[in-house]
Amino acid sequence: MLGEFEYLLITAAAGLGDDAYGAAIREAIESTTGRKCSIGALYTTIDRLETKGLLKTWMGEATQQRGGRAKRMVRVTSKGVMAAKDFYDAVTRVSRGASWVAKRTGSAS
Amino acid sequence: MTSVGRSFVEAAARLLARDEREAVIGDLVEAGESTWQGLLGVLGLVFRREATLWKSWRPWLAGFGVTLPSSFLLMGVSLSVSWSYLTLRCPELLQKSSLTLGSGTIVLLCKALLLIGWSWTGGFVVGSVSRRTLWASMALCYSPCLFCLSRFRVESLSRFCLFLFLLPAIWGVHQGLRISKMKLSWAIALAIAITVLMLPNWSSGAQHWWSPPRWTLNWALCWPAWYLVATARRAGAKAGWGSSDGLWSGGHREQQTGMS
Repeated sequence: MLGEFEYLLITAAAGLGDDAYGAAIREAIESTTGRKCSIGALYTTIDRLETKGLLKTWMGEATQQRGGRAKRMVRVTSKGVMAAKDFYDAVTRVSRGASWVAKRTGSAS
Repeated sequence: MTSVGRSFVEAAARLLARDEREAVIGDLVEAGESTWQGLLGVLGLVFRREATLWKSWRPWLAGFGVTLPSSFLLMGVSLSVSWSYLTLRCPELLQKSSLTLGSGTIVLLCKALLLIGWSWTGGFVVGSVSRRTLWASMALCYSPCLFCLSRFRVESLSRFCLFLFLLPAIWGVHQGLRISKMKLSWAIALAIAITVLMLPNWSSGAQHWWSPPRWTLNWALCWPAWYLVATARRAGAKAGWGSSDGLWSGGHREQQTGMS
């Protein structure tokens, strides 16, 4: 099963679609979670997920905005989508009946 | 990030692979990180990369299983070869050693071939097993060399005699870095040759503290040769026997995966 950060990374990459690359994924994770995401954690996790066959990466084009440096583009594979879905299902199942979930449901209704 | 700061970050990023360096520096520029944040980010990634390599058994085997013990033992063998050569050159020493010129030459030849064989196979294993942690293996070779150099007290021999093993060892490392695996038949021939050359040493006792270690210790130098046989056999089983010609069976190193 995926780890928490792996799930965040796959979900952010899937959300970005064709625009998923290192800096954009990092920005998405930081803005969503409100937590700092280090370059080291990002790229080592991308490598690990690619080794597992959950992501595919390739070098993209260089842009002026990046000082003429190329991007490392990321795409979530179908195996990655399945792994993220499994993680989400497991978290949803285990969270049923938890006090914070009940409270949220109660306040929403 | 200032231009000076950027050059610091780029210098640190040289420790990363080319493509990764490109992506990381681009990300830092795009995110508008400060020099300090950029430097910390790059060094953090370098540290994580290095730590990942050390999760594998390969660098541990290369450093502590081969380089460190072999460096000590091979310095002893290097001195023994030098001493045998000196004995041959000096008639009084030859007389004392109860060897004839012919038998002394054969002993010297055996020892020299063993030294080359042990050093080369050890170097090959280190180069092939731990390419990206070679710096650590080098450091582990450097420290026993310094230790022995500082304690060298043999007047009749030059201090450089300690390091006769370095040349074949470096040659072995170079080959190990370039080539993936030896062909099985060559690996077996090399291992048998080294083992056979060890036979005369099995019963001989040590005359000096730098003489070749007892035969039990010599096995520590012999096992890289048999490790090459084991890995060549495994590669042969995967690829099919006799799948390639020549000394090397696995092509170049870049074709391999999962090597640290």
